[in-house]
Amino acid sequence: MLRGTAPYALLLPATAVVAAVAGYPLYLLVKLSFQQYGLQELIAHKGVWIGTANYAEIFHDRQFWEVVARTVVFTAACVSMTMLLGTLIALLLARLNAFMRFLLTTGLVLVWAMPVVVAVNIWYWMVDYEFGVLNWLLTELHLGDFEHHDWFVSPWSGFAIIGAVIVWGAIPFVTITLYAGLTQVPRELVEAAAMDGAGVLRTFRDITFPILKPLFVILTSLSIIWDFQVFNQVWIMRDQRPTSDYFVMSIYSFVESFKVSQYGLGAAIAIVMVLTMFAVTFVYIRQMVRMGDLR
Amino acid sequence: MRRRLLAAAVLVVLLALAAITAASAPAKSQADSITVWLMVDAQNNWADAVQAATRQFQQQHPGVDVNVQYQTWGEHQTKFDAALAGGNAPDVKELGNTETVKYMANGALADLTAQKRSFPNSATWLQGLTESVTFNGKLYGVPYYAGARAVIYRTDLYRQAGVSTRAPQSLDQFVTNGQKLMKKFGTDRNFSALYFPGKNWYASMSFVYDYGGRIARFRNNRWEGALNSPQAIAGLTKLKSVVLSLSRASKTGDEANPQQALVFSKGKVGSFIGNGWEWPYSLDPKLGNPELAGKIGAYPMPSHIKGRYMPTFLGGSDLVVPATSKNRALAADWIKAYTDTASMTSIAKAGNIPNTTSLVAINAAKPTLAPFARAAKYSWFVPAAKNWANVESANVLQNMLVSIFTGRSSIKSAADRASSQITQILNESR
Repeated sequence: MLRGTAPYALLLPATAVVAAVAGYPLYLLVKLSFQQYGLQELIAHKGVWIGTANYAEIFHDRQFWEVVARTVVFTAACVSMTMLLGTLIALLLARLNAFMRFLLTTGLVLVWAMPVVVAVNIWYWMVDYEFGVLNWLLTELHLGDFEHHDWFVSPWSGFAIIGAVIVWGAIPFVTITLYAGLTQVPRELVEAAAMDGAGVLRTFRDITFPILKPLFVILTSLSIIWDFQVFNQVWIMRDQRPTSDYFVMSIYSFVESFKVSQYGLGAAIAIVMVLTMFAVTFVYIRQMVRMGDLR
Repeated sequence: MRRRLLAAAVLVVLLALAAITAASAPAKSQADSITVWLMVDAQNNWADAVQAATRQFQQQHPGVDVNVQYQTWGEHQTKFDAALAGGNAPDVKELGNTETVKYMANGALADLTAQKRSFPNSATWLQGLTESVTFNGKLYGVPYYAGARAVIYRTDLYRQAGVSTRAPQSLDQFVTNGQKLMKKFGTDRNFSALYFPGKNWYASMSFVYDYGGRIARFRNNRWEGALNSPQAIAGLTKLKSVVLSLSRASKTGDEANPQQALVFSKGKVGSFIGNGWEWPYSLDPKLGNPELAGKIGAYPMPSHIKGRYMPTFLGGSDLVVPATSKNRALAADWIKAYTDTASMTSIAKAGNIPNTTSLVAINAAKPTLAPFARAAKYSWFVPAAKNWANVESANVLQNMLVSIFTGRSSIKSAADRASSQITQILNESR
């Protein structure tokens, strides 16, 4: 009997910690999303139960659907750029000599280790309207007149900048993980394929990618989760006061909760966000697992 | 093995005891300290007044610590809400005069009506500020200081461009002056005759009120956003033409980031619309340019109607005691020390309008303060609605201004959108 319960007993402390640290706040968040919780309720420490009225309100709000669409498109763009560039740099790492590989890896680790808020602030200064080095550099290189160019007037260029910052921060993790996976690809297979006349692209598609597929699935799912809930980069790049055409879901939830003091509404938006992310990654992983089983 | 186990057990017990005593120590001294939250304006410009008040308070209450923390305008409401929810709100808090209504209506502030007469100069408090801390006839705070905005300008740049340093009599004359400045210095791409960032709603709404418009009106027992009225649109149209012709500031930036007085101190700005304290701030030895002393002047922004001033936003702050505070008497005593005549005099000398009419002579006498006191005579204020603070937090006005200045919306559609958002937020009953 002891042997049977031992695994569960060993799991118990970790489960208890996760339940307390993550489970209880999640339960409170769900409860909050069914309540009316404004400033008055905050001070009285007691919400008013209103059922699904918060959800009804956000689903009927045109701005909510705009924000969802914007977040989905932005996440798709960021994740695809991250995975593409991450894979390319990982392949590069595998082909470099030891010294260059050391330099590149050090650079990647430094990017990874930098605290997000510090890094984004520096990017913010670099693209500053009046004193930014990016404007100066582009003007000096005669790529056009970028003096006093405000990158954030148009949300397209604004999100391109913010996306660049996010992709820049996300590449190291993807690259180093993929590089570790690449070292596990058997060299005999690659050499055999080269002898059979396969080009680089074919080798990648038929040998490297299938072996690394589990890694790609994990990294893509993680990237989707992280990029869908991105907050810091957008918040800081927009000076902590983003205009409504810069709202992504995490920012919309925060603004509704803390700026307009509608905590119930903000909680409902957050729950919708969590469910959407769960749905997206669940479908994707199930599909990948199925494909794996059919092999 | 047993000895090692015993040693380990003793160590654990000792650490636990240390942890318990460390954890309980602050609890014992909680009653012997008060927490005060002020804004960074005080930290930057009249920190000595804060310290003097604390010293005076500690003479009256020896052994009581005063923990002063400074917040920024962008996040102080969020922090305050979180502190109210968490039960560790400060004992004294500075709130902007547009933000107090929200907290008074929700029962977040302590009732000070009974002690009104014990506060210094309460008989001569500024009426506008007193109204901002009164709700349903009861007093929920103490007026702190008021501020009016005026045009702060470089007298030497004006002279070089051939512009008279006497105050312009009308908005048209102001624009003509600005165009002369742009003609003389405008080849430098960084030069602005009037530095006007896009999100500067305080100065922008002055144009709306000058042309007879308003932000919202209360009609048929509900609020209606009024920014799309013909008068308001006339004001916004004039504003857009003035800003686009005279300002090279960022259309999506605001007046605090970068702080406009500091941009002015860098020398590429002819004038800007700022508060009284922004004049000495531009001369700050560390962040500004002290060499500009003697080359700066100020005048109230002229109206489009000749001979009048454009209404200026009557900003200001109040000091409140949150209802959750356990040290209300101590908090009130600190406020009394901080708002007495001596303290108010030094706050006024830092460039503000003091909370009492008995000290108004200080401002009228000093040339660096008089223009702002004059400008304050024609003022406008935000709608006295319970949810007004939410309109500010939701950046409705800033969004509208940015889309107008960047040209992404027409003035009419931006004003329509803002008006309907204001209507919705102000009428929200929850």
